[in-house]
Amino acid sequence: MDLKDKLVSSFMAFENTVDVNHPVHEVRSEAIKNFETLGFPSKKMESWKYTSLKSILKPQLSVFPKKETSLDYKDVKQYFIHEIESYKIVFVDGVYSSHLSETSHEGLDVCLMSAALSKPKYRLLIENYFNKIAVKDGLTSLNTAFSKEGAFINIPRGVVVEKPIQILHFTTGVESSLLTQPRNLVVVGENAHVQIIERHQSLTDNPTFTNCVTEIFANKRGIVDYYKIQNDRDEASLIDNTYISQQRNSHVSVHTFSLGGKLTRNNLQFFQKGEYLDSTLKGVTITDKKQHVDHSTLVHHAQPNCESHQDYKGIYADKSTGVFNGQIIVEKEAQKTNGFQQSNNILLDDTATINAKPQLEIFADDVRCSHGCTIGQLDDEALLYLRSRGIPKKEATALLMFGFANNVLESVKIPQLKQRITKLIASKLGVNLGFDL
Amino acid sequence: MAYTEEELKKELETKEYEYGFYTDIESDTFPVGLNEDIVRAISKKKEEPEWMTDWRLEAFRVWKEMEEPEWANVKYKKPDFQAISYYSAPSKKPKYDSLDEVDPELLDTFKKLGISLDEQKKLAGVAVDVVMDSVSVATTFKKTLAEKGIIFCSISEAIREYPELVKKYIGTVVPRKDNFYAALNSAVFSDGSFCYIPKGVRCPMELSTYFRINQAGTGQFERTLVIADEGSYVSYLEGCTAPMRDENQLHAAVVELIALDDAEIKYSTVQNWFPGDKEGKGGVFNFVTKRGICETNAKISWTQVETGSAVTWKYPSCVLKGDNSIGEFYSIAVTNNYQQADTGTKMIHLGRNTKSTIISKGISAGKSQNSYRGLVQINGRAENARNFSQCDSLLMGNECGAHTFPYIEAKNKTAQIEHEATTSKIGEDQIFYCNQRGIDTEKAIALIVNGFSKEVLNKLPMEFAVEAQKLLEISLEGSVG
Amino acid sequence: MAGNTETDMLKIKNLHASVEGKEILKGINLEVNPGEVHAIMGPNGSGKSTLASVIAGNEDFEVTDGTIELEGEELNELAPEERAHQGVFLSFQYPVEIPGVTVTNFMKTAINETRKARGLEEMPANEMLKKIREKSELLEIDRKFLSRSLNEGFSGGEKKRNEIFQMAMMEPKLAILDETDSGLDIDALKVVANGVNRLKTPQNATIVITHYQRLLDYIVPDHVHVLLNGKIVKSGGKELALELEEKGYDWIKQEAAV
Repeated sequence: MDLKDKLVSSFMAFENTVDVNHPVHEVRSEAIKNFETLGFPSKKMESWKYTSLKSILKPQLSVFPKKETSLDYKDVKQYFIHEIESYKIVFVDGVYSSHLSETSHEGLDVCLMSAALSKPKYRLLIENYFNKIAVKDGLTSLNTAFSKEGAFINIPRGVVVEKPIQILHFTTGVESSLLTQPRNLVVVGENAHVQIIERHQSLTDNPTFTNCVTEIFANKRGIVDYYKIQNDRDEASLIDNTYISQQRNSHVSVHTFSLGGKLTRNNLQFFQKGEYLDSTLKGVTITDKKQHVDHSTLVHHAQPNCESHQDYKGIYADKSTGVFNGQIIVEKEAQKTNGFQQSNNILLDDTATINAKPQLEIFADDVRCSHGCTIGQLDDEALLYLRSRGIPKKEATALLMFGFANNVLESVKIPQLKQRITKLIASKLGVNLGFDL
Repeated sequence: MAYTEEELKKELETKEYEYGFYTDIESDTFPVGLNEDIVRAISKKKEEPEWMTDWRLEAFRVWKEMEEPEWANVKYKKPDFQAISYYSAPSKKPKYDSLDEVDPELLDTFKKLGISLDEQKKLAGVAVDVVMDSVSVATTFKKTLAEKGIIFCSISEAIREYPELVKKYIGTVVPRKDNFYAALNSAVFSDGSFCYIPKGVRCPMELSTYFRINQAGTGQFERTLVIADEGSYVSYLEGCTAPMRDENQLHAAVVELIALDDAEIKYSTVQNWFPGDKEGKGGVFNFVTKRGICETNAKISWTQVETGSAVTWKYPSCVLKGDNSIGEFYSIAVTNNYQQADTGTKMIHLGRNTKSTIISKGISAGKSQNSYRGLVQINGRAENARNFSQCDSLLMGNECGAHTFPYIEAKNKTAQIEHEATTSKIGEDQIFYCNQRGIDTEKAIALIVNGFSKEVLNKLPMEFAVEAQKLLEISLEGSVG
Repeated sequence: MAGNTETDMLKIKNLHASVEGKEILKGINLEVNPGEVHAIMGPNGSGKSTLASVIAGNEDFEVTDGTIELEGEELNELAPEERAHQGVFLSFQYPVEIPGVTVTNFMKTAINETRKARGLEEMPANEMLKKIREKSELLEIDRKFLSRSLNEGFSGGEKKRNEIFQMAMMEPKLAILDETDSGLDIDALKVVANGVNRLKTPQNATIVITHYQRLLDYIVPDHVHVLLNGKIVKSGGKELALELEEKGYDWIKQEAAV
């Protein structure tokens, strides 16, 4: 039996573990049919031209963890941004870990998808938002079919959340062929503000595969800052699907820092549904060994007077591969759109590859759209300059790379997070810079 | 502003196809449909040697197994390949020594096209090969060229007279199985131009071919092969027109350029096939494969002004095989009414220190869709490869689309690639500024469009640039009341 | 300011204009005779640039009442280019960039279109060249400048000098200089003013719109008008400009309020 058939047949067993009378179950049943038709994406599809899932789609993958594994906080503390007060929603092998978490229902909901699916008071929210903007492709449908756990965040109108929310998904690797599929839902009310930090972390060197779906809804004047830290181990693979719907005057930014992992595919899609809003997509990617990181972005401008800003920096070493597939669509109605997209890339070795495909599809005439894409090297002259001031080559190189990525780091609004990412980048580059950037 | 979008739309609708006329010359046309017998018959008609017949048959067999590509950003009703006549030649096949012997009606056609042969002969010193309904009609200036050892003739003649050259190079840049249309062309091409510039020779004049579809229900499949031997130089011009017809006509050409060490080829095209009427009826399907290969230190430069055709699918490309070779692509694509264009280039960097430049200007009006699709590929061995790409789109009106699909693939750390794309419209403030200086809106638009396209227009040979500029105006202006 | 209707170059009567429903000009009356230089001064937002745009026919502004006449002929219904053909020239405060179109080509088109509208033949190339040479010398413009794209990458000073060069080329009856002094250093200002003065004839007229008196040291006006809140609230001779320089606009505002 191939993996697809196996997963489809697992669905029946899965139905024993959820409430099949809940309206969401209809959505799940629809989704499994969809997955059965579509299956996994292949390189023949234009949007998957540069990324193959062959190496990670192993037939032994299973969606059911056999046993619960518990973790001690001291063992995983390093993966939290522990320097700040925060809410925490933590999962171990897809199962909620209450003792590592710090949730809340006081004036806002920072809790679990399983709770949201079971409690009647959330039923309306679930009906209004669950699976409403997630694109119905094969992988997302697979996640939808097996959706039962993940983070559920509901920020009511006018609430400015003081502390950031951290979402951590740990995989222990105790069971090496586990396919985890977290499903997160974030609903941000009018005038509400929230900051979210998300991380997927594998704790052993066993291969893991995560197919995550997050839906984010920003209502009028809502502000959402979402940070993704992807610094996983060499055998961990991640498909991260994030769908964002924005209403009038809202501001949503997503920063993605892709440093680790074997294969990472980020599907990040913004749907603009009101006027005068802006969407920000930024990323820093630094890869080595045989890593493969694919950023596929879409900004769908459907209303007038909106903006989008994309800025992705990539540095690729060894035999690693980077993909930037950025799409901007401007519908006929979306007059006075400002859409900007920038992708800058550096190849450090001849064995590294970058494939970029920045696309503009424009149907409105009164718009300002541009994209720029560059591929190049570090400036030799600058390197020489730094070395002549006594900075060793390795540090000088790292410094230049920091400078290259700085635009993206600059806009991280949580200082402690910025510092942490700076350190992660420094350690990725194997240097110790004697200062904070 | 005196000029509203409504008015602009109306103006564009009233635009007429200037070259829409039909010359009544008796044609010798094959029955419709395609099979091995037709392929053999074409080959026989052209008195081709057996190797050529076999080459065509092999292409036909490959083609039968292939499917029409669907990835381009164009929508159209697929042609019925069994409803097309694959051969149509003026029945009195002329072999002229001078233009005086040419059918006066044909000459009149050329005059309407603005390529009065004798005029050009005298004034511009352009040698012209005219391919009308797929058969090469007249080549002027043969003698002057022959003195330099330059061969410039129809591909049919080349197959008969210079089989070694043809055999050596045909299908080497665009293999028969390259794509659906290339395979079809390889099987049924009826004529086209052949050009060979010997070692170290600088071709003293611009070489020029005009392609024209005349007969109804025929497809045109011309094949062009240009070989620039070591250290030589040639500038080649290609013009295309077709008369107005209700049904779609198919044009599937193949152009192969070979620039050997230190050679340079400039290939310029002004394409003005019938674009269909303002309801989107009729027009030419232009599915063309153009590719050149550059050996060491060689340079190929494609310049195109595309204003015609209902559907265009065309990517003049350069394979930069030799070290230090250079590829260039300069393009203006104008679409109006229901036209659809998916055009761009591929720059394949294989050699060291190879350089490529892409400048693409897309202008969309009416209900048209205009896409740039390009590939820049830097292979592992291509040390110090450089590419600069710039794709600018200008939208006129709010029912058209402008799209950019650049693919960039780099596998060498020394690669330097810069890609920029912008989209804009003609500013009302720009028009008011022109108005204030006494320039009416129609002229102002022409002026601004010309300015927008200038970097590409500048790359065209003088006479062609003037013609191209006129075509831009016709395509976008029409008659405003 | 009693003017004789027969000889008036420009006559504006009770001009009201608004943009997006907001009234900016609230009843302007102005008469300019041939050979005269008028200065229109006023604080920011008083409607100076709007007045210039409305005379030139910018349709972003809606004329809700009143008339504009040039040599007795009403301009109200004319398109901007038709006004230009009649001899109205506006030196823009913010000249627009037109990529790829050289200054020379732009001027050739402008002059020949205007000649065509006046029923004249196109200007012969050699005459055009001679004129370009002559006028560019007048404004101390480098010839290389003429083959650059119109206003693209021009400095503030270059843009303004280019405007006056175009004015010299087109020889208008009525020239309106909208804040031509802004962005100019003193040397450039002198060159521009010198150009304007040398182009002055008894048959043409100039309206200088400015915020500061500085330009009026070099282009001496016959009449000075103060525009405040969409109306001309005070008119006088060149001494009025000096008074404004010294005392600012506040006293006029008070006077107008009374």
